[in-house]
Amino acid sequence: MTDVHTPRESASGETEATRPFGENETEPDVSGSGATAGWPRWAWRQLTSMRTALVLLFLLALGSVPGSVLPQQGSDPVAVQQYFASHPGLAPWLNRLGLFNVFAAPWFAAIYLLLFTSLVGCVVPRTLRLAGSARTPPPRAPRNLLRLPHSASYASALAPSAAVDAAAAVLGGQRFRLRRPGAGDATFWVSAEKGYLREVGNLLFHLALLGVLVSIAVGGLFGYKADKLLVEGQQFYNNTTALDEFHPGRLVSGSDLAPFRLTLNSFSASYFTTGESRGQPETFHAYVTYSPSLGAPARPYDLQVNHPLSVDSTKVYLIGHGYAPVFKVTNARGQVSYQQATPFIPANTGTMTSDGVVKAPDASLGFIGVFVPTGIMVGGTLESVFPAPDAPAVSLVGYSGNLGMNSGVPQSVFQLDTTGMTKISGSPHLLLPGQTWKLPGGRGSIAFTGYKQWVSLAITYDPGQVPALICGILALVGLLLSFLVRRRRIFVRAVPSGTGSVVTVGGLARTDASGGFEDEFASLAAELAVGGAAGGPASDSREPSNQSETGA
Amino acid sequence: MSVNQALAQVSGDFLIAALVIYSLAVLAFAGDFAFGRPSRAAAGSARDTAEAAARVAELTAVGAAAAGAATGDGGAATGDGGAAVAGGADGAIPPGGAAPAAGLPSRRQSAFRAIWEAGPWVRAAVTLSAIGVVAHLVAVVTRGFAVHRAPWGNMYEFVTALTCVAAIFFGYVVVRYRAWALGVFVMGAVVVALGLAETVIYTAAGPLVPALQSYWLSIHVTAMTLATGIFFVAAVLGIMYLVAERYRARVAAGKAPDGNGLLARIPSSAQLDKLTYRTVVFGFPIWTFGVIAGAIWADQAWGRYWGWDPVETWAFITWVLYACYLHARATAGWRGRRAHYIQLLGFVSLTFNMLVVQIFITGMHSYAGVH
Amino acid sequence: MFKAKRRTVVSVAAVAAVLLAAALAVTLLTQGSGKADAGYVFYPESQRHIVPDFTATSLTGTPINFASYRGKVVVVNFWGSWCDPCRSEAPTLSVLSEQYRSRGVSFLGVDVSDTPVNALAFTRSVGITYPSVNDSGYSVTQDFSQVVPISGTPTTIVVDRTGHVAGYIYGGATYSALNTLLGDVAVTR
Repeated sequence: MTDVHTPRESASGETEATRPFGENETEPDVSGSGATAGWPRWAWRQLTSMRTALVLLFLLALGSVPGSVLPQQGSDPVAVQQYFASHPGLAPWLNRLGLFNVFAAPWFAAIYLLLFTSLVGCVVPRTLRLAGSARTPPPRAPRNLLRLPHSASYASALAPSAAVDAAAAVLGGQRFRLRRPGAGDATFWVSAEKGYLREVGNLLFHLALLGVLVSIAVGGLFGYKADKLLVEGQQFYNNTTALDEFHPGRLVSGSDLAPFRLTLNSFSASYFTTGESRGQPETFHAYVTYSPSLGAPARPYDLQVNHPLSVDSTKVYLIGHGYAPVFKVTNARGQVSYQQATPFIPANTGTMTSDGVVKAPDASLGFIGVFVPTGIMVGGTLESVFPAPDAPAVSLVGYSGNLGMNSGVPQSVFQLDTTGMTKISGSPHLLLPGQTWKLPGGRGSIAFTGYKQWVSLAITYDPGQVPALICGILALVGLLLSFLVRRRRIFVRAVPSGTGSVVTVGGLARTDASGGFEDEFASLAAELAVGGAAGGPASDSREPSNQSETGA
Repeated sequence: MSVNQALAQVSGDFLIAALVIYSLAVLAFAGDFAFGRPSRAAAGSARDTAEAAARVAELTAVGAAAAGAATGDGGAATGDGGAAVAGGADGAIPPGGAAPAAGLPSRRQSAFRAIWEAGPWVRAAVTLSAIGVVAHLVAVVTRGFAVHRAPWGNMYEFVTALTCVAAIFFGYVVVRYRAWALGVFVMGAVVVALGLAETVIYTAAGPLVPALQSYWLSIHVTAMTLATGIFFVAAVLGIMYLVAERYRARVAAGKAPDGNGLLARIPSSAQLDKLTYRTVVFGFPIWTFGVIAGAIWADQAWGRYWGWDPVETWAFITWVLYACYLHARATAGWRGRRAHYIQLLGFVSLTFNMLVVQIFITGMHSYAGVH
Repeated sequence: MFKAKRRTVVSVAAVAAVLLAAALAVTLLTQGSGKADAGYVFYPESQRHIVPDFTATSLTGTPINFASYRGKVVVVNFWGSWCDPCRSEAPTLSVLSEQYRSRGVSFLGVDVSDTPVNALAFTRSVGITYPSVNDSGYSVTQDFSQVVPISGTPTTIVVDRTGHVAGYIYGGATYSALNTLLGDVAVTR
């Protein structure tokens, strides 16, 4: 919120002139003994005071810190598990405090909800007051305008009332709101006020922030996020069975998903081959075909990072990629038990050394493998030196026995449970494309027949996204208005002097944000003087408060 | 397109040249500080009286809360505000004849005349700074041409660009507010930052990873660069405010003589307070815009406009802290020193985000390129 | 003075209480939908939706036309050879498929996220004789998800003799659950 000041009693006539601009901004005395007002009212005033807003803002910043230095469940659950493993004593306590999921934690929500309650409790009355002040005229002109921070005077050939009328015409032409003396007032003056947009901007900014919060909530309730890993050649329909991960909002059900179909025709990645950035990715292209609904014609799309596909207000993003070596496993009886392009997960995104498992439960065989797109042997370990598949190779550690997959307890497809299995001798075994490892003991064989690439896609639907953006832009507009628009008042008084009059002009401005009122006042006074006809500018103008204006 | 190594080399050379020239400028600013025109020191006491009167006038005129003024800026309100006319008339009809006040001299003369009259040290310092800025700009622009994109794709480029923004913005402050007394501190900080850029976080010119290949780079990172440069200046001013404020309190308590020594040469704490405020006000909307642009870009690249990635979180914390500062300035009892502590905390958070979070905490935002 | 101190204490307590209350409210409001445990849904005749006809390829390459199952009760089981709960329920399905064959009940598998080689290796090892559709493209899944809230594998859907969905089991199918469901459906149309 902008400045809140208590009006200060000073020399006569000035109190009203300096009455806060357009609204009552008195910060209530919340530390006193307001026993008569009652606890609820006192508590409400506490909540909506600037001090509370300050404390809550600080708490908001402070509360966000653990969310950025501790691993968070929402973005990196593996890191959370690792933290538990490396800090067995501390981690459960941190977990109880919700520090592994800070931004979804109830205490964090409590902070920003209280902050927004305080905001609403402050903004709504101020909005009403602003609306009311649109009906309140500017204050009366003080008697001695020369005591104001900016003042000037000039002689005018016109009679006082005509001089004041001329001044009023100039001010009115500059869209100032005017006030004239009432019936019982025999003096000649006009008051002008301008700059209500500042408060409008201020309120707009704060209300827009509220709008952002509401938009986020709407998105969280009605939207969803999903992931899908697709190997080249595969297709899927957007339903909950096909999606690998599905995180729906509270009010989302499976039938709300846009029923599009997407096929990954091919994926190509290019890397820099020379120079300092050798190995750095240059481009990624996922060539897909999609169809928005059953029966609709299929359309091609070149899906890239920073170029998502938009289907039916659902967006599909290219998030990651990797290699899926193709394995063929035969069992002890020579029957083919497994044949699949098996996605391996890159452990090092620079070199694309990837880890994966092959689970062939119906051959009682399992393999833990490392795939390298461009491989060399370094001291017995297979390592990759370049992310493109120039010399693919795979190294496998074999296990035979019961994989434990019939027990009904779900297992990750990327992990092999080797309890109850025996390691096959000859592990690790290196295979180049086309090679087969005949397992000892007649247990079967595994062939590395080739490789494909896979992409990981993020599919999101967020109905609150566009409203959040609009509110964000409105907040920015409000912010700029509240910083750039100055609230100022101009007073003009004329007293008879000979055949004409002497006109004094006084100016008052909230000068904190942008300076420059002195320039505006100077040119305005000059304009008024010219409009006041013959005699021109004369006598002194005084700027006693210049130190605050000029230098800073 | 591959990197134009020749231009990259030119960029590096010009940056080193800028660094050397800035260092000389800092020496010149320091020289002015130590040996500059004595008239500024003598004008110290006149400035304080004028300032006190000015503050009173402002208090009565716009109704500042008495409590706020008392704790924040201190200073007894002497005399009757409206009637006390100190020098420094400016821009009214007709221009008053009073001499320009010291501290931050008035704007009455043209900037170049004022700089000329401020003495050989100031002339040299401002000239060297200007040449340094030109060299700096050439370095930034040629880097952009060398890599065929906006030259803020990694930490080194970002620091190079933001210090350029800071230097240019400071140039504007010098011209508009005649604030060369601040030169030693602001340009000194720029030199230190550039020195770090050249040594610790240097990254050779190279292409961007696909995630950064977007026109949003020009929008989001540009805004963050601008805002960081501006907040950089605000932070230096804030530190100077704290120094000036402590000095003023000591003078008021009789513990230090008035108008004495180096500290008397810097502008008053009230002026620094206002200048800092205006600087933050200038930077805050740009930072807000940068965060919004970043969110739009994050949605394009990562599928969600806000995911509490560490860098996003710290950008948010920085935003909240600067919002805290703006609120504090409007709250009785929080103006003055406390508000500036908050502002400096905001800059610490910004720097932490830039130097620690982006490099050491893994997240999707780890494009610093520093190994 | 004392009143001010008491007020401070009370105000701190009030803020803490409000924070706690807000926290509780948020927790209650944002309870996400939990993972569904094994469950059983039976639709009375008035609430049954028809399954769209489809043709697909079986694991062995032969065409399967769903319309040809009209007149029989069909147990449609969504599974994959990689899916441990599916592997665990398979013997139950195998037994029930034999048991209900004479009562005009057919079993049809829909194999998802899988390859025919892997799937056949499993059906061979566990002794399942009823055919399965190779749904690596998810089109059959998509058809069924328009009428049944399938949320993954395993899911077992029972279609009545007129081609309408009579009920489903999500999660691993137990003998008693499927037997009861079949009993309810087989006696009706």
